[in-house]
Amino acid sequence: MSEIAALIVDDSSVMRKIVERALRQAGLSLNKVHEASTGVEALDLLKSERVQLILSDINMPMMDGLEFLRQLRMQQLAPDVPVVMITTESSEEHVREAIVAGAQGYIRKPFTAEQVKERVLPLLDLA
Amino acid sequence: MATPVRESMQVNMHAAHLDDAVGEVFGLMMGVPCVPGGKNLCEGQETTITAVIGFAGAMSGACTLRCGQQAALRMAECMVGVRPEELDATVKDAIGEVCNMVAGAWKGKHPALAAGCMLSTPAVVTGTNYQLHLQQPEFRVNCNYQFEEHVVSISIICEFIQ
Repeated sequence: MSEIAALIVDDSSVMRKIVERALRQAGLSLNKVHEASTGVEALDLLKSERVQLILSDINMPMMDGLEFLRQLRMQQLAPDVPVVMITTESSEEHVREAIVAGAQGYIRKPFTAEQVKERVLPLLDLA
Repeated sequence: MATPVRESMQVNMHAAHLDDAVGEVFGLMMGVPCVPGGKNLCEGQETTITAVIGFAGAMSGACTLRCGQQAALRMAECMVGVRPEELDATVKDAIGEVCNMVAGAWKGKHPALAAGCMLSTPAVVTGTNYQLHLQQPEFRVNCNYQFEEHVVSISIICEFIQ
């Protein structure tokens, strides 16, 4: 399986570690994991770093995950990179809002590695 | 005319939903069962840590999670894989996230709250001798939960519901 670089955006460092662990348990081969604690930090990082997958929380200070996603698309950063939201918000309205903003996937916290595998792997072109 | 949220919520379901939410979070994120039970935390006898998540929108109030130091260290260990030596930033982060997920899972069990109620970012308080004082709540659910030999006290407090 090809190795990929991923960006995990969450204001909780504990949750960033958990997401990374879940990605590896899901079978993803990661050669680099970038972390950002805010949407602003993530946007800055993406101006210089190339990734193949982005996972982002929604409820974050300064810039929430949906605004991060909108800015990502508006600034045309990482245009072909799939974005998966990982969040405690579970309503259909939130899911719809995330999809409209440009997310390709949605995982509700709490989650299992199996759920990460089901939602993330199909989005990646792992040649 | 839309049904007010309070009319659609059955008070007797709040505790059941909280039990389910706690079980899900501890089971899925920490790999440990967590069930209702356990003695009340002894105030003033052990450093305690409390996480608070605010609710706003269709319901205003808070979810609080309170536990002793050993319980907090164990919860953090289950989440990150390494046991911290003290109540450091990682432990506070972990407890805040557990409270966040419990609050989110609880509100997600009622459709009107899932869509119409927002969560704050976590606030975490540590100390040895304090009490929580709240205005007259519309309803309050308090429950002790036990995982391994530890007890966690979790509350859902509703100040106002539409």
